[in-house]
Amino acid sequence: MEPQRNCADWLVLPPGLSPECLGDGWDVARQRRTVAIFTFHDTFEWGLWFSGYTLYSTGDEYVLQTHVNGWPGAVKCTERGVGRRFWHDFSTDAMRSYLREPLGLRGLTAVATGRFSTQLCELRNDMGKIVCRVEWNTVAEEPGGVEILVWCRVLPLRGYAREAAQVTERLASIGAAPSSAGPIALLLRHAHQEPRVYTLKPTFDLSFETPAREAVGRIISTILSIADSNIHGIISDLDTEFLHDYRICLRKTRSLLGLVKDVYPAGETCRVRKQLGDLARATNRLRDLDVYLLARQDLLEGLPDSLHQGLTQIFAEFSSEREVEQRRVGTQLHGRATARKLRVLRESFSSPSTHEASSAALLPVGPLVFRGIYRRYRKIRKIGKDISIDTADEMLHQLRIECKKLRYLMEFFNELIPAKEGLLLQKQLRRLQGRLGDFNDSSVQQRFLLDWWHKGRSGIDAALAMGGLLALLHQRRHQARLLVDEVLQEFIGDDVATTFKRIFRRPAVMSENNSPKDRPQ
Amino acid sequence: MMIIASYSIKGGVGKTALSVNLSYALSEAGQRTLLIDLDPQGAAEFYFRVSSAEKFRMNDTRTLWGGLLRNVRETDFSGLDIIPSNLAYRHFDIALDSMEKRRKQLRRVLEKFSEDYDTIVLDCPPNITLLSENVFRASDMILVPVIPTILSQRTLEQLDSFFRDEELPVERLRPFFSMVQKRNNMHRDTISELSASFPQFLKTTIPFSADVEKMGLRRMPLLAYSRACDAAQAYRALCNEIIALQETVS
Repeated sequence: MEPQRNCADWLVLPPGLSPECLGDGWDVARQRRTVAIFTFHDTFEWGLWFSGYTLYSTGDEYVLQTHVNGWPGAVKCTERGVGRRFWHDFSTDAMRSYLREPLGLRGLTAVATGRFSTQLCELRNDMGKIVCRVEWNTVAEEPGGVEILVWCRVLPLRGYAREAAQVTERLASIGAAPSSAGPIALLLRHAHQEPRVYTLKPTFDLSFETPAREAVGRIISTILSIADSNIHGIISDLDTEFLHDYRICLRKTRSLLGLVKDVYPAGETCRVRKQLGDLARATNRLRDLDVYLLARQDLLEGLPDSLHQGLTQIFAEFSSEREVEQRRVGTQLHGRATARKLRVLRESFSSPSTHEASSAALLPVGPLVFRGIYRRYRKIRKIGKDISIDTADEMLHQLRIECKKLRYLMEFFNELIPAKEGLLLQKQLRRLQGRLGDFNDSSVQQRFLLDWWHKGRSGIDAALAMGGLLALLHQRRHQARLLVDEVLQEFIGDDVATTFKRIFRRPAVMSENNSPKDRPQ
Repeated sequence: MMIIASYSIKGGVGKTALSVNLSYALSEAGQRTLLIDLDPQGAAEFYFRVSSAEKFRMNDTRTLWGGLLRNVRETDFSGLDIIPSNLAYRHFDIALDSMEKRRKQLRRVLEKFSEDYDTIVLDCPPNITLLSENVFRASDMILVPVIPTILSQRTLEQLDSFFRDEELPVERLRPFFSMVQKRNNMHRDTISELSASFPQFLKTTIPFSADVEKMGLRRMPLLAYSRACDAAQAYRALCNEIIALQETVS
């Protein structure tokens, strides 16, 4: 596929048309036809597509190309090889640099395969002079061979604009027309792989007055659908993000049920929360191992070379354990019990009437949630005020949990919060959570390592590396602890407190102010 | 951008065959090349199956440039364009005569093509006029095909004298032997004599070949249909020698 200059250059042709359709005006000479089979790759999140790229492999070569609405653009770089999954599996600097951001931690998977053919045709006048060229292309499914699209591009020769216009006119008269969707988009559609935006923060079409149970049910069934969509990726172990997102969805759902009291009967809330907790807990070990293995390079760089041998041994054991754990989780998720459990949960939250009545079910969700947000913030402020450099870790842990609850509430009901101020508050909250998260991670990792070691590990190299790792994590924990205070003081300070009070304390007033014009369009 | 003229006072020495094949060889070597057919006979454009240029005014450099630009035609060969001739070119001298700095206007106009092309090849008519003088001043290299005969020797000497009399850059004159018949004693003697008196003669010689004459039937450069014949190889060698000289000059 040659680089395009402009989408408008391409004309989609009626199926089955050949270049000879131009034969009544010019002598048509076909040049050599090139046929190649391209397999397109992208991530679960369509990271490449939405960054304006397509990556295809043909033979033993990968080609990264730009696209506009599925029309092929300029080739950015190529690389020989097969079986690449992550950005760091590629060897050339150019490819790695293009792929790093759009892929992140995501793995590539084949999304569609097509047979592309290109043929240049020369149109000659009565003197035998070439007066115009036409690039004739087709894409067909592979295997199968069903033609998906025929398209062409008129390539004018300098000094022969009139002839090119005549060719374009002739093509238009037999049905050629510009099209917004290009051959790659149509190939993906044909393969039932249309790119769609994937997000862990969807919107729920809520209003301030939506009955609480209806609103919460809509949120939970949406989030559980997202959890469900990640299961195939966990089972096939495409990348670690599937498990990560699956766990976030379970945690968010569980958290939401705990935060909106009396929207569902207490017994049912408790039962569902336990089910969700069990599902998440079954994947704890796998996630812990993922986190360690993802941090491998970072930890190696943090330790002297003399400890690398021992660290490599430790990681080799993590890796082996992960294989076993992944198979176990995969088998469990593949089983009917888990799938049924998730399906039943999702269905039960899709309809408000499937549950017994409860006191807050029909209340408008806005005031209920805003009160909850304000209460949560005040709790964080209270805990925060008692925190000093000598405070026990437990308090920071509690603060972190409260922050997480507040964040989930603000994210779920983001549509109801005035956009500008909501964004600012969430940004400050995210900063605080980031610092608390760093502190918590280094504490948890130390405990994980010690537990792992006490299960009868041996070897002097591994012991040395373990000592080094613990020292490194201790140091990081200490640094993270020092960094918490600065952002905490800002978040519990008077400015932020005043904003929280103004927005969330009097939800009825906010309801009046929460007109669509406050929301980003 | 280099400007190369194919010029001789004498007709029938292989100027157009040189322009056409050299342009083709330059484009094949990766140089974006524009061939301008300044000869009202329009032989060069015939070889590329291109129609004559549309008429245009030549009141000043602006209209001359606009007219030339409008008449650029892409040939069938990648990287090679042509501005075909027009019978109106017979008035080129009158047009140039009416302009200021009339001996240098052509260079000013051709410079405007420098973004689009690496080399311009001028196929010139066989005479000495104000247009020729403009070509001499505009060109970085003036290739003069010389059939190794007494008459050609005489015309080369005339051209050399003209350059010296008019204080033109004589070092830009690069004659080469054209239509050479190796078995012809007179050709051999003339080559030997002229090479001694004109050290700027190019090393490559173009042999006489019936293949070259078939260009009229095939209507395309010799190099496009008979790549391996002696004459084709000679044109390619001449092109390489010129590219090497271009690099020295630039």
